Amino acid sequence: MEEKKNSEYIIEMKHITKRFPGIVANDDVSISVKKGEIYALLGENGAGKSTLMSMLFGLYEPDEGEIYIRGEKVKFKSPNDASALGIGMVHQHFKLVEPFTVAENVVLGMEGGMFVDLKTASQKITELSKQYGLEVNPNDKIKDLPVCIRQRVEIFKMLYRDAEILIFDEPTAVLTPQEIEMLLNILENLRKAGKTILLITHKLEEIKKVADRCAILRQGKLIDVVETKDVSTSDMASKMVGHTVLFNIDKKPIQIGKTVLSLKNVSYKKKGESVYRVKDVSFDVHEGEVFAIAGVSGNGQMEIADIISGIIKGATGNIILDGEEISTLTIDERIKKGISYVPEDRHAVALVLDESLENNIALKKMDTVQFLKGLFLKKSEISKYSDMIIDKYDVRSGQGRSTIVRSMSGGNQQKAIIGREIELDAKLLIFVQPTRGLDVGAIENIWKLILKERDRGKAVLLISLELDEIMNLADTVGVIYNGHIDKIAKRSDLDEMTIGAYMMGVKANG
Amino acid sequence: MNTVLSSTLAFGLPLFIIAIGGIFSERSGVTNLALEGFMGAGAFTGALFAVIIMSKTGWSSANVMWFAILFAALGGAIFSAIHAVLCVYLRADMVISGVVMNILSTALTAFLVTTINEKAFKIGATGKFHIGVAGKFTIPGISKIPFLGGLFTDIYYYELLIIVLAIIMYVLLYKTRYGLRLRACGEFPQAADSAGVNVYHIRFSAVLISGALSGIGGMCLAYYLITQFDANLFYLGYGYLSISALIFGSWKILPTLGACLLFSFVKYFALWFASLPGINLSSVVTSTVFQALPYIITLVALIFFSKSNASPGALGEIYDKGKR
Repeated sequence: MEEKKNSEYIIEMKHITKRFPGIVANDDVSISVKKGEIYALLGENGAGKSTLMSMLFGLYEPDEGEIYIRGEKVKFKSPNDASALGIGMVHQHFKLVEPFTVAENVVLGMEGGMFVDLKTASQKITELSKQYGLEVNPNDKIKDLPVCIRQRVEIFKMLYRDAEILIFDEPTAVLTPQEIEMLLNILENLRKAGKTILLITHKLEEIKKVADRCAILRQGKLIDVVETKDVSTSDMASKMVGHTVLFNIDKKPIQIGKTVLSLKNVSYKKKGESVYRVKDVSFDVHEGEVFAIAGVSGNGQMEIADIISGIIKGATGNIILDGEEISTLTIDERIKKGISYVPEDRHAVALVLDESLENNIALKKMDTVQFLKGLFLKKSEISKYSDMIIDKYDVRSGQGRSTIVRSMSGGNQQKAIIGREIELDAKLLIFVQPTRGLDVGAIENIWKLILKERDRGKAVLLISLELDEIMNLADTVGVIYNGHIDKIAKRSDLDEMTIGAYMMGVKANG
Repeated sequence: MNTVLSSTLAFGLPLFIIAIGGIFSERSGVTNLALEGFMGAGAFTGALFAVIIMSKTGWSSANVMWFAILFAALGGAIFSAIHAVLCVYLRADMVISGVVMNILSTALTAFLVTTINEKAFKIGATGKFHIGVAGKFTIPGISKIPFLGGLFTDIYYYELLIIVLAIIMYVLLYKTRYGLRLRACGEFPQAADSAGVNVYHIRFSAVLISGALSGIGGMCLAYYLITQFDANLFYLGYGYLSISALIFGSWKILPTLGACLLFSFVKYFALWFASLPGINLSSVVTSTVFQALPYIITLVALIFFSKSNASPGALGEIYDKGKR
């Protein structure tokens, strides 16, 4: 990064490095932000945007590097320190007390005296709302307000504290297109009023529309800082995605069979939300095929997996497994019909962390005659079965089958889950982020296992945020954007750049 | 019949101040099943000092009551600090801690009363502190009104204190900075934290308030019901009754007042009813049935109003700042 005179920049972050166990979240990143500009941070998931901003907001302290605000070197111990210097942040998950009114939320922590004077606060909120063109009724309760107004309340919280530097973490992820338009106008107004805005996003059009400059991060490193008016969105996309390393995976030609899973016009809206998480999704998965859903996180792909497995209820449309409608069946019935599911969050959903490895491995079959004698479990059968999986899938642990799962490494936990799910001998295998957080060796191993199942004629649905995983494994790729699958094509007909463009919504309805 | 109403107030108001304590703790997010134990610890402390003061000064029990209540508040608050430390700083399970507090309180006060009587007061290993009766007054004139006159008959002075305290607590919870922060901590502590509020301090102080108020309520009940502190007679589950009242009252102060008075009225109506000439039911049966009524009412209310009956959003949720 070029260095200029201090006074020109309101924020300077110099040579910031932040490590978390196992990864370097930020690697020698330096950015400088001018007063009154909208500065975007662009990058894929895990690129380090949020970590970098969390350090600017005092949530984390950098391991190396320095932060300067208005030319003064600062060290933030907590968000309160950042607040005191006029830095505010709108988090992805709003920090609002739902039964409170707008005014109560805004004054919380800034009440002034011993008694809460909501009248004066409401007046100030109304004034601010006129000044910035942000309409809101200070007496409304948060729980009655839609998401976009709640976001405004978060903005009010910053303005009420006279914040000058406003950080927005993925602010448009939860908004409809019209609401996004409104938010972008609000950002323009804030800039006109002299506020400095940092915008974390992976949506290119927004950046193109409002941002002055954009820093592009990839895998913790700063790749480039560009003037948005000089660069096309596809150039930014290619910088953001970068080039992927292809492992040398031996993939046999596809032997496609009959349709196993077919989704017809599946839509899903979470109760109380106005935006559809999944919109009119239809696709087929066949025997011997890996059907992969590519997309940026939060575009509805995780919900699709949960809808098929039955964890999410209340979706509309048809889910047909082997010619049979399964959308009304319970999770257990679906498992028995032949669905295996390796979910994204292995700790919350896939494993009972404080139980033994053998019980976790036998979990999905505990109520079958294989492991039951009357009301009692056949311990020896469970042990035998789990030893078989431990051996076959090379699950390593301290005390073999009696190891408490929590103490095992992520890679071995994942191997145990994958072994359990594959050995169910289901017709359909759903893998969501099967290699999340694993090292290269483990990744390759799991990829081979997935391809082996494909070659045995199983139908595989792979949902992944990692483009190289999809490029390596998929036979057919569907790209999801805003809950809708915009493009379905053979893997051989697509290159990474094209998929990337669909993922960003740059190319739609192709 | 007049005694039904006067007893309703004399018993219902102490329940109310205990329940307010519970409201403070729970609306800050700390589940509090320990009200019974706090009451006992408070009443024990108050009774101990009442006995000491009476023997040193020779003042009447009615005058000493004010000191007893003061020390009961202190004793309750100090005892509740154990629950507060466990739940807020050591991240213990709040339900388990509450139950443990109750058991500890029963055992500890029984042991201490006997030991102090034997070793310090040299009156033998008796399990009672005699505190005498509390002072009361009757407003002339209006107390003669049939039925409703009961509200102005035999008013204990502690009832006035509780009314004043309740108003102060109401203002504190709903009108002050502290109250706003406390309620935010109980609904969504992450929001309070990000607004610069120290969630740990708020929750800790809220539990201490519940301890102090429970101690006061416990002391009043000891004066009203048994004129002594005796662990074998004191722990009758009125702390749990207060919890029922605050749940029935949806964690709000005014509805909780209604619940306390209703429960208290049912209790004394039952006793009056059983004493009527021509009622052949044994008083044991009626009083048992009527004593169960508050809990049955709460249960029914929970079944039918559970949707509108909104408990604090983060009730029972251990707050860990490091976890995001």
